Amino acid sequence: MMSKTHRGVLVALLLMVVLALVSAPATAQDDEMTEFVFAHTGPIRTMDAPVTWFGSTHWLTNLLYECLIWRSLDGSGYVGQAAASWEATDDTTWRFNLRPGITFHNGEPLDAEAVKWNIDRVRTREDFMVHPQWLFVNDVIVIDDVTVDVTTHQPHPYFEYDVSFNGCQLLPPDYMAEVGEEEFARNPVGSGPYMLTEFSESDRYVFDAWDDYWGGRPEVDRVIYQVIPEQAAQVAALLAGQVDLISGVPPADREQLEAAEGISLVSEAGGRMQHLLARIDLEAGIMPEAYPDYQPVTLDPRVRYAVSHALDRELLAEVHGAASARLGRVCAHFPEGGADSFNSPEAVAANYDPDRARELLAEAGYPDGGVKIYLDSPTADARGGSEKEVAEVISVMLEEVGFDVELNILDPSAYREQVQTSGGHRDLMLINQGCAPSLVPLFYQCNWPSNLARVCNEEWDEVSNEILRTIDFDARMALWDQWWEFMFELGMQMTLYEIQAVYAYDSENFTFEPRRDGWMTFRGNIGLADG
Amino acid sequence: MQQFIATRIFQGLITLIIVSFLAFFLVRLKGDPVDITAPPTFNEDQKQRLRELWGFDKPLAEQYVIFVTRAVTGDFGIAYLSKRPAMELVIERLGATWLLAGVASLIGLSVALPLGIISSLNRNSFFDLGSTMLASIGTAMPSFWLGLMMIIFFSVRLRLLPAFGARDPSAIIMPSLTMGVGMAAYLSRLTRSAMLEVLNEDYVRTAYSKGLITRTVVFRHAMKNALIPIMTVFGLQLGWLLGGSVVVESVFSWPGLGRLMIDSIGVRDNTVVQAALLFFSLSFISINIVIDILYAVIDPRIRFD
Repeated sequence: MMSKTHRGVLVALLLMVVLALVSAPATAQDDEMTEFVFAHTGPIRTMDAPVTWFGSTHWLTNLLYECLIWRSLDGSGYVGQAAASWEATDDTTWRFNLRPGITFHNGEPLDAEAVKWNIDRVRTREDFMVHPQWLFVNDVIVIDDVTVDVTTHQPHPYFEYDVSFNGCQLLPPDYMAEVGEEEFARNPVGSGPYMLTEFSESDRYVFDAWDDYWGGRPEVDRVIYQVIPEQAAQVAALLAGQVDLISGVPPADREQLEAAEGISLVSEAGGRMQHLLARIDLEAGIMPEAYPDYQPVTLDPRVRYAVSHALDRELLAEVHGAASARLGRVCAHFPEGGADSFNSPEAVAANYDPDRARELLAEAGYPDGGVKIYLDSPTADARGGSEKEVAEVISVMLEEVGFDVELNILDPSAYREQVQTSGGHRDLMLINQGCAPSLVPLFYQCNWPSNLARVCNEEWDEVSNEILRTIDFDARMALWDQWWEFMFELGMQMTLYEIQAVYAYDSENFTFEPRRDGWMTFRGNIGLADG
Repeated sequence: MQQFIATRIFQGLITLIIVSFLAFFLVRLKGDPVDITAPPTFNEDQKQRLRELWGFDKPLAEQYVIFVTRAVTGDFGIAYLSKRPAMELVIERLGATWLLAGVASLIGLSVALPLGIISSLNRNSFFDLGSTMLASIGTAMPSFWLGLMMIIFFSVRLRLLPAFGARDPSAIIMPSLTMGVGMAAYLSRLTRSAMLEVLNEDYVRTAYSKGLITRTVVFRHAMKNALIPIMTVFGLQLGWLLGGSVVVESVFSWPGLGRLMIDSIGVRDNTVVQAALLFFSLSFISINIVIDILYAVIDPRIRFD
């Protein structure tokens, strides 16, 4: 006879099997409701938007909250959200005309006072990560219920970009005052096309369409951000029909997904550039403690130029799997990107000159090659790139012109700790960064707090600052021309390619159009396939 | 007995104090949390103001005293980024982790004990060789790989089970099996060797010579003695399941404490890391106290006092 213990175990196991069978299919949806599930790599940090500066958290907050204006899908301009129209009334004043009668999800009016409260909050709260990004604002003046002026300390050519950046999300002031920040973090209220109806911290966020949205109820009833940290698990979940969209599809999985029925792959510029960064000083980061006696060969600008000429960027972009070769530091779709001068295929190809690289090395005192150089790289990045393979090909290219490369490839988290945030590179390191023209000039200024390099050229600083206060487009472009000269003369940051984000989605049920800025936020870019 | 329990609880408290010390100072070894949390646009003055706001400008010893004083009341502070109490976040995830560890242990024990006992009774038989082979495979298979293979088979091919999450009751099957397999493999070998040792004892031979049937000898005489080492290892493994399920939680997107801790370490949210570490330790210590008490229940020869 079976003992009670054994019977208990058996019953428990049987119960599990029965549960499995009765609950299948696992994610059966209500026929009445269209549900779109996006696999987010996580973590997601907060729903109190201005608290964080991490874009991947703002992918979600942008469903919940309205900003005044927002970047258009193709990156070509801006669209109104809470603001129906806006204009610069002088060099330092922007007037926003709000949509009359719009409210937050709880009925609280989204008026000029609410806008002022929000902008004042982000520019005065020093514990907010977005705080420094809003210091360009001088004042917010309420003209009437639906009109508000935002003034800046100086003429600000990138005002629209910055005012639609992290921290632009409008929160309901009365509700916040009533419940406090802690409770607000538990039950956030916005005014966007979706309401957050259920969430489990950094795990699963359920957004339901809001009937009263000024732009009309969204076509997809429910959007779910489901955190799935492992990319292999994301791919499996898409193939199993349990999620509808994944981003950063790894190169190794693309063929399999393309062949799968009902799944489509699409790629688009993702707002990130891959660079090779050379060490130009002995002080930045942990260099003095980590390698006190090391003399980087890259201190000599001729060696840096030689590295740049040794690189076949077209090939590197191909090795990455989804990228476009570039020379310029700013993403190609911005007018400041210097698309013709630096990012056209001709310009990129012309820079690849191994003979010139050898000449430069000879001029630098290495006529017989054998120049020892260290290259640090992560194995991969979250956008599905093949950094390790790219680094290996770079080392072959460098060795062909006379370098003796020592590769140091680390797991992404170890790389972030040991190299990227601490400045632990000896000669060269791979790094991918954003590419917005409003931010790029800041990165090479004397007062820029960087662990990676100490760049300080007062003339260059002046050009950068002038760019950031010149409204006239032609005059600003002329300044950018000067800026690029400084950039290439320094030769510290060698842009390799612009990373394309690769997405896979359930094309049998949904349409999906990726955003040019790589943001996985769903406003007007998802729909029903038969809709 | 009561004195023993009181002593063990006291020892547990001392361990917790040591863990709190380590939890506090080890997370500081990773560096300044403001450096990693602040965006690149923050200059040194802005970072310093953030340190003052979060209390990182105070001497470490003072920070530790504040931490411990608050921790005993269950207040681990507000998570830097989510702006919710760290304790609340930990408790939110604790249930999922305990459930997963509990079901995985159930699977591990329900497979390991019968396999180990039958193997020991049929030493060097085909069954014994087969179970040895299965145990070797179970021990050698990385949980990451096993988890993904199960997802591919049960979710992608058969479309039977959810590939992620914890919303559906059936979602626990794959992660618990993934964790339970390793435990079963290890415990079955241990059960076999513990049983073999006991089966050779004089009192077992005496029991057989009295004419008792095998089942009675095994379960009433041999098993009770063999259980002591099995329970010791089970206790340690359960502790490992509670604290070391990060890989499985990541593969299956199980919303447990391990993943919360990894996410928090990544963003250096020390309040959450410290709260989670102390909860792991508390669970581990509690399990071991219970196991110690069970020794006396199972084997009356053991007298703690």
